[in-house]
Amino acid sequence: MEIIVFYLFAAIAVIAALGVVGLRNPVYAALCLAVVFVSFAGLYVLLSAPFIAVAQVMIYAGAILILFVFVIMLLSPPVDQGEGALKWQKPLALGFVGALAVQLVLVLALAVLPSARGSLTPEVIAQRGDVQVVGAALFSDYLLPFEMTSLLLLVAIVGVIVLAKKR
Amino acid sequence: MPEDYLPILAMVVVVIGFAAAALVVSAITGPRKPNPAKLSPYESGMPPFGSARRRISIRYYLTAVLFILFDIEIVFFYPWAVLFRQLGLFGLIEMAIFVAILLVGYVYVWRKGGFDWD
Amino acid sequence: MPDATTLYLILPEITLAVFGMVILAVDLIWRERSRAALAWLTVLGFVIALATALLGWGWNMALFAQMYVVDTFAIFFKLLAAIAGILVTLVSLDYLRDRTPYRGEFLALFTFAVLAMMMMASSASLLMIYLSIEFLSYMSYLLTGFLREDKKSNEAAIKYFLYGAITSALMLYGLSLLYGISGSLNFADITATFAARNDVPTRIVALVSTALVIAGLGFKISLVPFHQWAPDTYEGAPTPVTAFLSVGPKAVGFAVLLRVLLTALPAFKNEWIALLTVISVLTMTLGNLVALRQKNVKRLLAYSSIAQAGYILIGLVSVNLNGASPFSGLNGVLIYLFAYLFTNLGAFTCVIAIENATGAVEIDDYKGLVKRAPFIAALFVIFFLSLAGIPPTAGFIGKFFVFGAALREGFLVLAAIGVINSVISVFYYFSVVRAAFFEAGKDTAPIRLAPPITFSLVVSAALVLVMAVYPEPFFNLAAWSMGMFGVAK
Repeated sequence: MEIIVFYLFAAIAVIAALGVVGLRNPVYAALCLAVVFVSFAGLYVLLSAPFIAVAQVMIYAGAILILFVFVIMLLSPPVDQGEGALKWQKPLALGFVGALAVQLVLVLALAVLPSARGSLTPEVIAQRGDVQVVGAALFSDYLLPFEMTSLLLLVAIVGVIVLAKKR
Repeated sequence: MPEDYLPILAMVVVVIGFAAAALVVSAITGPRKPNPAKLSPYESGMPPFGSARRRISIRYYLTAVLFILFDIEIVFFYPWAVLFRQLGLFGLIEMAIFVAILLVGYVYVWRKGGFDWD
Repeated sequence: MPDATTLYLILPEITLAVFGMVILAVDLIWRERSRAALAWLTVLGFVIALATALLGWGWNMALFAQMYVVDTFAIFFKLLAAIAGILVTLVSLDYLRDRTPYRGEFLALFTFAVLAMMMMASSASLLMIYLSIEFLSYMSYLLTGFLREDKKSNEAAIKYFLYGAITSALMLYGLSLLYGISGSLNFADITATFAARNDVPTRIVALVSTALVIAGLGFKISLVPFHQWAPDTYEGAPTPVTAFLSVGPKAVGFAVLLRVLLTALPAFKNEWIALLTVISVLTMTLGNLVALRQKNVKRLLAYSSIAQAGYILIGLVSVNLNGASPFSGLNGVLIYLFAYLFTNLGAFTCVIAIENATGAVEIDDYKGLVKRAPFIAALFVIFFLSLAGIPPTAGFIGKFFVFGAALREGFLVLAAIGVINSVISVFYYFSVVRAAFFEAGKDTAPIRLAPPITFSLVVSAALVLVMAVYPEPFFNLAAWSMGMFGVAK
């Protein structure tokens, strides 16, 4: 059952991601991005992390996507008409992406990544609750990144005022 | 444990199906007789004037970015709130430092007029 | 909850974080009043951070669940960061005076940028590396685009940001592969995993992730082919920010690269040495050849900066931690970075001084400089001699040790290419000197120097000359700083 749902979400995510990159109209692309975010939230639920799934929808689909749409409205970019200036860029980019894709397939096919599980198995998470697990880690082992994140947010706040506020 | 969330998936599927069905059925079964008056944009019955394109204020961008930053702060509150008793005093101090740093940012935006509309 | 020792050892970071917020708050309260006081407050913060960083000398511990390492290697780079912070702050206030009203915010953001540099130097976990690199990147983007009305500043920031975002994504993918293989974010666990598993698929994946991580860090260090943002960004950014970008992210970028390669990926030493040798040759050669055609001093120094990264990479390639020889590559890299810091900051300070007085950044506008500002013209000669690696300057000492290390490890061709490139670089450095000394300019009004700029110039020039004449304390500093946590000496 899990496999079917995984493939469903994965397929939707991939198709929507292709839509983001390939669609000409920027608003359509932004909406496809929303679909990508929501299908990722579904994948997180499958990984026994519903808190991360909710945070994903709240922050990504709820705030960042809104920002994208505002910026698209602000700039009113014309619908993309076609090729860029340099002809060799597209084949080179596709080649590079192809190499990365081949490498990704190799990683999965050759079973390089160990299937051993860490200490937080789904049973442990089901017993303790996934928010509790995240919280316990966040305030003990990962305290330094946590406090650093607040500094990052602070400088982002100052930066946005400096760059975007009208005098 | 992920099985507990199956009802949400079912609801999403039903909602999408309902919306899609409404669009598809109306497209198939509705009559198709366009004329210029019907195709023009709706403006409460009056004939439309002016262009839809106007300079959007950059205030929207500023508000959206500030919303993102404070939204992320809120998300960090959830695990702390759930574990409030277990984390005890140290947890309170750690979260207080987090909030204090962001409070500096909040006061900064406030005094610089980032929260005023113009 | 971190214990007393942990708090004691992260005092520099706490100091800078507190000072950054204090500067922001004071600027809010004082509004339009004395900004010079804010600059002195910033310098005070950097001095305290420098002093508290030295307190950690001799400790060799990993804090915060092995994520954050305080060893002499990290402290060396924290010293570099604090010194760079002090020198750039001293020269930036005049520059910003007529160009932006956000001077207080500039100082606060700059303090946070130096904080990010310090955190990069101490990071020992994939998560911390990524977070601190992103922290420094955001600061760099903001500071680059600080002059809102200046189109060149906007262009510089956009190019820097787009390039940085893409390479950041690539690096993150590489880091995620490393995490996937080893199951841990920690360098020690990653090394152990690669020591245990040596099959071909693992090696392939590890090499791909190494290449991606080098791509991400190479962006910060401006290695070829990740250098393309550098000329436009250096040209468009406010010149104090350019000065900072040319030494700060480069130095700590090398610190992170050294730490990752030596502590987490020593199993693939042959492969990354091969890759980095090729990159080094490309970087030196491209940087020097394109610099020959530049007419704008900031762009010239940008390409020169790119080439310098190539020289430093030679030292990285020749790293050999067995035995205590002064020609181990790591020693060379540290000495070179120390020399490069003062030299490049000095050169950019001269550019700032002239730009403050005349607004000029083209080589043609430097004609007749020796009559208008003989002090600066003389200092240009000293700093360019140092950048080209000609004795008796600190740059010569740096190149001596880097090329010496390459020769010791058998990289004869690489060292030869390095020397040839140094000779080529003399040509473009001296195009500026020739314009300043031997050609007559249109304007002949003398250029006055503000005291902070003079002080900064004197300090940089003194160090460049002293390091060549009396190098022993600096050798000792570099030798002591080679202690990297987790690497057997």
